Amino acid sequence: MTKPHVLLLGDVLHARAEWEALSDVATLSVCDSSTKEEFIKDLAGKYSDVAAVYHCHMDDAKPGANINQELLEALPPSLKFICHHGAGYDMIDVNACTRKGILVSNTPGAVDDATADVNMFLVLGALREFNLAMTNLRKGNWNAGVPLSHDPEGKVLGILGMGGIGRALKRRAQGFGMITQYHNRKPLSEEMAAGAKYVSFDELLATSDVISMNLPLNAHTRHIINKEAIAKMKDGVIIVNTARGPVIDEQALVDALESGKVRCAGLDVFEAEPKIHPGLLANEKVILLPHVGTATYETRKKMEITVINNIRSAITGAKLLNVVPEQIHFAP
Amino acid sequence: MTKPHVLLLGEIVHAKAEWEALSEVATLSVCDSSTKEEFIRDLAGKYSDVMAVYHCHMKDAKPGAIINKELIDALPPSLKFICHNGAGYDMVDVNACAKKGIIVSNTPGTVSDATADVGMFLILGALREFYPAMTSLRKGKWNMGAPISRDPEGKVLGILGMGGIGSAIKRRAEGFDMITQYHNPEPLSDELAAGAKYVSFDELLATSDVISLNLPLNAQTRHIINKDAFAKMKDGVVIVNTARGAIIDEQALVDALESRKVRCAGLDVFEAEPQIHPGLVANEKVILLPHVGTRTYETQKKMEIQVINNVRSAVTEAKLLNVVPEHISLVH
Repeated sequence: MTKPHVLLLGDVLHARAEWEALSDVATLSVCDSSTKEEFIKDLAGKYSDVAAVYHCHMDDAKPGANINQELLEALPPSLKFICHHGAGYDMIDVNACTRKGILVSNTPGAVDDATADVNMFLVLGALREFNLAMTNLRKGNWNAGVPLSHDPEGKVLGILGMGGIGRALKRRAQGFGMITQYHNRKPLSEEMAAGAKYVSFDELLATSDVISMNLPLNAHTRHIINKEAIAKMKDGVIIVNTARGPVIDEQALVDALESGKVRCAGLDVFEAEPKIHPGLLANEKVILLPHVGTATYETRKKMEITVINNIRSAITGAKLLNVVPEQIHFAP
Repeated sequence: MTKPHVLLLGEIVHAKAEWEALSEVATLSVCDSSTKEEFIRDLAGKYSDVMAVYHCHMKDAKPGAIINKELIDALPPSLKFICHNGAGYDMVDVNACAKKGIIVSNTPGTVSDATADVGMFLILGALREFYPAMTSLRKGKWNMGAPISRDPEGKVLGILGMGGIGSAIKRRAEGFDMITQYHNPEPLSDELAAGAKYVSFDELLATSDVISLNLPLNAQTRHIINKDAFAKMKDGVVIVNTARGAIIDEQALVDALESRKVRCAGLDVFEAEPQIHPGLVANEKVILLPHVGTRTYETQKKMEIQVINNVRSAVTEAKLLNVVPEHISLVH
């Protein structure tokens, strides 16, 4: 009996042995289509019997990077599973997948620690305004012109979207004496909240000293932090984003930094990355990282293994281990 | 009865009200001597009845910055107490003070949180190699210069000198799932060690993934981290220093970074600060801060109040609240 066909869209860098081991249950192909048009042709040709896809977070220009309605219409009927490498999967039109009977998995859990580490680094870097100090030193000015800043101890950290990453952030923030509150669509159980106070969105905005974005990007959350939201925040608030750039209206953030409403920001993601608003680049106080949330050997390997395990489960058990929340009701 | 005379060497920036309140129990003077020679003359003149000094950490050139034997010989016999603003007091010759019957206090405790916050920021920044990622972004290259790096989770953090600051770093590191071990001249009680494993100096060097320097600078600890010490460390070790620059032989560190024995370093202090070894400034991996350990409004004020409390205790009860360890045996 022919083994099911699995297609890799992207690259497996760290868990190569685990990927190769899948060949005991599947035929493995690595997508070599050079353009989007060629990819569509290949989907009707050599990839027309693919059952499951290992999908990487790639540059928008790459074939298969964005799994939108147009691409979905070209996918072969045999394709039932898309296993995504990443916690965020906003580049996949999940509703369209559901309509076509395709289930999607992501990699929650595996990303939590590394992303929370970046998150806490940015919370500290923004509260303490370290970027200006570092830049000053490298220019040969030591600490001349570097103002005093503020301690995290006793400050209120407001987590918008306390899921796995948000909870990992809370654990870290506790060690620095911060008090955590959060807003989710619904309150968590006491066990999951682990002492964090549940508040409304408006209360989170009005009473937090530091606001951390830890929510997924979708139609409801795009620009959830906009001019109106910022106006409700405390004067001198700190904003940190390790989720997705478009949850913040970047122009509104630049304006608020200019007015001093937002004292400082720490960002790992940007609205139109890799392009960054020039107003942010010109600001020496803000601390900026180029989406390095999970960029470690250990975490990338864990993530790759999570995807490979989902593929294996799809092939051998016709189900996924980490179905995305939107599809939980449709999964067997 | 004349109130005792208290002399301020330096400046009170935040706790002005608390300083002025001392005038109920003391006559307050602010040192206005413009040169070291003038200061020596004033110590025999208008400051010749000073009983207690509030001593700030100042630039070497300032009168009274360095309390060495030469200056101590010129201090009036009335002077019994030097209350230092800072946890590190290596610029005060405590042995010469003891010989003259002068007791010294510092500001332990109040510095712990802010310094540990810097320490943990540098541990993350060095392990995750965030600095080249930040500079790559600022140069318009997005993440081209951002290496895949390492997670803190599961790594061994070796604290050399686990006192108040070292313990505060351990508490923070736990949130990142680091395992802490330490070396002190003697083991701490179980309660103070709080689960950290006591190891010999050589074992700390040989088995730690990250080594954090949290010990005071004195004759025994100067260059304790030298070429021989580096040779005993793990390949790819990460070094972090928030204590005093001269604890590390800076040339040896630059050599070890070049040979990749040391994968990365995070430094808030330098051997000859504000001068920094050009080999460090030229290194784009290391993360460097200009001695910002306690530079927040909240902590600076807490420290000033602690010194003022020591001065008040000296003036009203002839004793200090935070006698330096070397003088504990001199007081009852």
